[in-house]
Amino acid sequence: MIPSIAPTAAPRKTALAKFSGHRLLTSPGGLAGTVWLAALVLASLTAPLWLPYKTEDQDFTAVLSGPSVVHWLGTDELGRDLLSRIFSSAAETLGTSLITAVVGVGLGTILAMAAAASFRAEGIISRITEIMMSLPGTVIMLAVIGAVGINIPLIMAILGVLISSGIYRVMLGQAKSLQSQLYVDAAKVDGVGPLGIGLRHVLPGLANTIVVQSALIFAVGMLIQAGLAFIGFGPPLPKPSWGGMIQSASQHVYDAPWLMVPTGAVLALTVLSANAIGNALGKAPNATASHLPSAAIRRKRAADAAASAAAAPAGDNLPAAGQLSVRGLSVGVDGGTPLVTDVTFDVAPGTVLGLVGESGCGKTMTALSLLGLLPSGVSVSAGQILWNGKNLASATEKDLEGIRGRDIALISQEPMRALDPMFTVGYQLTAAVRRLGRAGKAEARAEALSLLEKVGIVDARRILRSYPHQISGGMAQRVAIALALSGKPRLLVADEPTTALDVTVQAEILSLLRSLVKDTGMSVVMVTHDLGVVADICDNVAVMYAGQVVESGRTASILDNPRHPYTLALLAADPHANTAHDMPERLATIKGQVPQPKDWPAGCRFAARCQFAGSACTIPVPLLPSGSEDGEVRCVKADELAVEGLEWVATDVPTHRVLEIVEKDMA
Amino acid sequence: MAMFVAKRLLMALATVLVVAVLAFLLVHAMPGSPGAVSLGAGASQEAIEELNQRLGWNDPLFVQFFRWLGDAVQGNFGASLIDGRSVSADLASRLPVTASLAAGTTVLSAILGIALGVTAAVRGGLLDRILGGFVGLLVALPPFWIGIIFVYLFAVQSSVFPATGYVPFEVSPQDWALSLALPIITLAVGAAAFLARQTRASMLEALQQEHIRTLRATATPTWKILYIHALRYASLPIVAGIALQFMGLFGGSVIAEQLFAMPGLGQAVQASVSTHDAPAVQGVVVIATIVVVAVNLLLELATKFLDPKLRAS
Repeated sequence: MIPSIAPTAAPRKTALAKFSGHRLLTSPGGLAGTVWLAALVLASLTAPLWLPYKTEDQDFTAVLSGPSVVHWLGTDELGRDLLSRIFSSAAETLGTSLITAVVGVGLGTILAMAAAASFRAEGIISRITEIMMSLPGTVIMLAVIGAVGINIPLIMAILGVLISSGIYRVMLGQAKSLQSQLYVDAAKVDGVGPLGIGLRHVLPGLANTIVVQSALIFAVGMLIQAGLAFIGFGPPLPKPSWGGMIQSASQHVYDAPWLMVPTGAVLALTVLSANAIGNALGKAPNATASHLPSAAIRRKRAADAAASAAAAPAGDNLPAAGQLSVRGLSVGVDGGTPLVTDVTFDVAPGTVLGLVGESGCGKTMTALSLLGLLPSGVSVSAGQILWNGKNLASATEKDLEGIRGRDIALISQEPMRALDPMFTVGYQLTAAVRRLGRAGKAEARAEALSLLEKVGIVDARRILRSYPHQISGGMAQRVAIALALSGKPRLLVADEPTTALDVTVQAEILSLLRSLVKDTGMSVVMVTHDLGVVADICDNVAVMYAGQVVESGRTASILDNPRHPYTLALLAADPHANTAHDMPERLATIKGQVPQPKDWPAGCRFAARCQFAGSACTIPVPLLPSGSEDGEVRCVKADELAVEGLEWVATDVPTHRVLEIVEKDMA
Repeated sequence: MAMFVAKRLLMALATVLVVAVLAFLLVHAMPGSPGAVSLGAGASQEAIEELNQRLGWNDPLFVQFFRWLGDAVQGNFGASLIDGRSVSADLASRLPVTASLAAGTTVLSAILGIALGVTAAVRGGLLDRILGGFVGLLVALPPFWIGIIFVYLFAVQSSVFPATGYVPFEVSPQDWALSLALPIITLAVGAAAFLARQTRASMLEALQQEHIRTLRATATPTWKILYIHALRYASLPIVAGIALQFMGLFGGSVIAEQLFAMPGLGQAVQASVSTHDAPAVQGVVVIATIVVVAVNLLLELATKFLDPKLRAS
C-alpha cells in the first residue's frame, strides 16, 4: 500500500466566507439581485425625500391612468401615484419578510445543531418536526391570524416557525457530518463543551447553507405576505401593501389592466433577486461530474470525433486483433487542465497490464478513456487508442456502444455503488446478457445463472433475486465481474477492483480474475495502487506519476530492478514488498503529495519529492529504454542510480547525500 | 409491514389530536365571545350573555374541549355562529371542490414539471439554461398575479373559460371541467415550476451515480439509462415533491379559490377567520389536517414501496 497524505484541514471560516462573497458578485444573477435589493431598500428608506407624491395623495384628474410624465407608473382607482405607493411600502415588506427568514432559518439551524450534538435530542426533534411538516400550514396560519388579529411581524414570525421544520431537514445532514469530523472529536477530547463545538466547528461550516436558505425563505416570506394581503389579511386599508395593491388592481382588470403590471413586476423582481442570490451562493463549487453527459455535450463530442477522425485517419501500423495500443494519449478537462499526458502502452492478448501509482496520477482517467467513459467535462485531447483497427479516441458514441461490454468491459472500485440499487441483480444481469449476447429471455436467465456460478457464487438463485444492498461487498464485486463477462469481452478494464474489499476477499477476487484470464484468454488493464496486486497478477506494469508513465516494463524486472526513483520509493514504502527477513526498521515514506495538474512543473514532475533530484531534473524528461528487456524509464538519473545502486531511504534525506549528488551534477 | 403501518397510524392520530387541541385553544384566543360574534354589533349585553351561556362558553375550558371533541369524533363540528348552518355539512360540500382543484393541479403540474425537469437535465446546454430561467421566473411570480393575468387573457380578452364560479360535477361534467380549468392552470404554474426544479436536480444527481457508468459500460441504450434507470433512481424525491404540493394545496388553494370564487375549503378558512366564526375555523383546521396527514401517510407507504432498501426492512 502506498501511504498518501489526505488533505484533512478543516474548511476555514474566513476562506469560506470570502469564497461565497466572491461567488455572489461574480455570478451575474447574484450581482443583479444584490444590486436590486440594495437599491430597493435604499429607495424605500429615503422615500419621503424623493418621492413626488405622498402615498395617500389623490389626483382625480388622472384616475386609473397609465404611465405618464406626471405619474411614471400610472395611478390607481383613487388617482394615487403607483410609484410612490410601491416604493414607500417596500422597506416594510422586505423587513417583515426578513423576520420569517431569521426565525425560520435561525430556529431550523439551532434545532439541527442540537440534534446533531445528541442522539436523543435528534429523536425528539425529528418527531416534532415531522408532525409540524404534516400540518396544513396555510390553514394554521389563517387560524392564527383569527386569534391574534393582523399583526404582520408576529404572523411572519409564526410562518418562520412553521418553515423551520423544513430548514431543519435541510440542515440536519450537514450538521451531523460536521459534528462527526475528526477535529470535532479532537476538540471534545480537549474538553470543549457542546456549545463551544457548535459555535466553533459546526456553525461556521453551516454558514453558507444558512445564507442560501435565508435568501430563499426571504423570497417565500415575501410571496406569502403578499398573498395574505391579497386575500384581505394585509395591513389596514389606507396603508399600501404590494399584495393589497394587486388585489385592488384585480378589480380593474377589465377597464385598466395596466394596473397589474408595476406592482406585479416589482414583487416578481424582488422575489427573483432573493432567489438569484440564494442560487448564486448555493451552487456547489465542484459538483460531481455526471456519468452520462447531457445531449448537448454528446452532440458536441460527436462532432469533434468526426472532425478529428477525418483529420487523422488511424495509421498504417495497426496492432493485431485483440491487441490494445495506446499511443501518446492525453486526457484533460475540457478547454483547460491536462490530467494525463502522452501515455503510451500496449496490452497483448491474454496478458495483464498494471497501471500503478498514488491517487491523483491519472490512472483511472486513462482506464476510463479506453471505453470512452470519461466523466462529462473531461475528454481525450490528443493521442490514439487503437483497438481492432479503430481509433477509440475519436470513435463516435455509436461505435463505442458497439465495443463496450462486447469487446472491452469495465469493473470498478466500489462494487456496491457500481450496481443499480433500484433493481435486482437478476434484472441487471439478465438485461446485460440479453443485450450483449442477443439472447432470449429464458436463455438469458440461464446464462445469468451460469455466469454467477462461473464467478464463484454458490447460491446463485438467491443472489439473482437480491437487491445490491442485500449482498456483501465481495459478493457485489463478483456480480460486477459477472456483469462485465456477460458480453464475453476480450479486454477487461479493472479500476482498483479490490481496494474497497476486505483483505481476505481481495485475495479471492484476485485469484478469480487470474483464473478468468487463463480460461478465457482475455487481457486485463488493472488499475491499482497496491504493488502486491501487481506482483500477484500483472505481466507488465506501467508506473504512473502525475499524469505520465514514468517507468514501464515486465513486472518481474520492475519489481526486482526498479529504475525510476518513484518506483523505488513505492517499493520501499510498501510493507508487503519488504519480505520478513529484509523488513526495514522503519518503512520509507514519500514526502509531500502528488502535485495538482495545475502545479505540474515543466521538468521532472517527481523532482519536488525525489531524494535524488538535481539541477538536471528541471528540464522535460523523455521516456527512454531502460536497458532491461523492453522496459522504459523517464529519469535523467536512471543510469546513475543503477550504477551506484542507490536505494530510497526510510529516514529523512541525509543532506550530505543530496549535496553529493548535486555537486556531481554540477561537475 | 403491519407493525409499521400501525405505528404510523398511531402517529397520525396523535398529530390530528395535537392539532385539535391547538385549534381549540386558538379559537378561544379569538377576540369576541361566540355570542357577540353570532348576534352582531347591535346586540344587547344581556342577549350576548344569554347566548354565551347557552353555547357553554362559560364552562371550564377542558369541559368545553371534551364536549367539542366528543362531537367532532362523531363528525359534528357544531353550527356556524354566522348563519347557523351545520359546519360539517358545509365542509362536506366544500371538500369536493378543493379536492378537484388539488387533484387536477397535482396531475397537471406533475406531468409538466417532470417533463420539463427531465428535458432540462437530459438535454443540457442552452435549452437547460433557457428552461432554468423560465422556471426561475415562474417560481418568482405570485400565483394570484398569474391568476389575474389568466383571467385577463382567457376570460376577458377571449372567453374560452368562465372567469369565476364553480359548477358541480353532478350538474354538468363539461361545465365542471371548464370552471376548474383556470384555477387549476393558475395553481399548476408555480407547482410545475417547483417540480421541474426538483426533477432536474434529482435526475442530475441520479446521473452522477456510479452505476450509470456500469450501465454504459454494458452498452445499455441511452434512452434506457435515462428513462428507466436514472428516472427510477430520481423517483423518490420527485414523488415526495408531488405529495408536498398536494398537501400544500389543501388550504393553500385559498388564493385561487378567492380569486375564482370557488366554494372550497380555502375560501371557508378565509371567510370564517374574517368573521371570527369559531366552530367553522375549528372544523376546517381539523378536516384539512386529517387530509394532509392522510396524504403524508400514503407518501410514506409509497416511499417504502419505491425504495428497495426500505421495502426489505
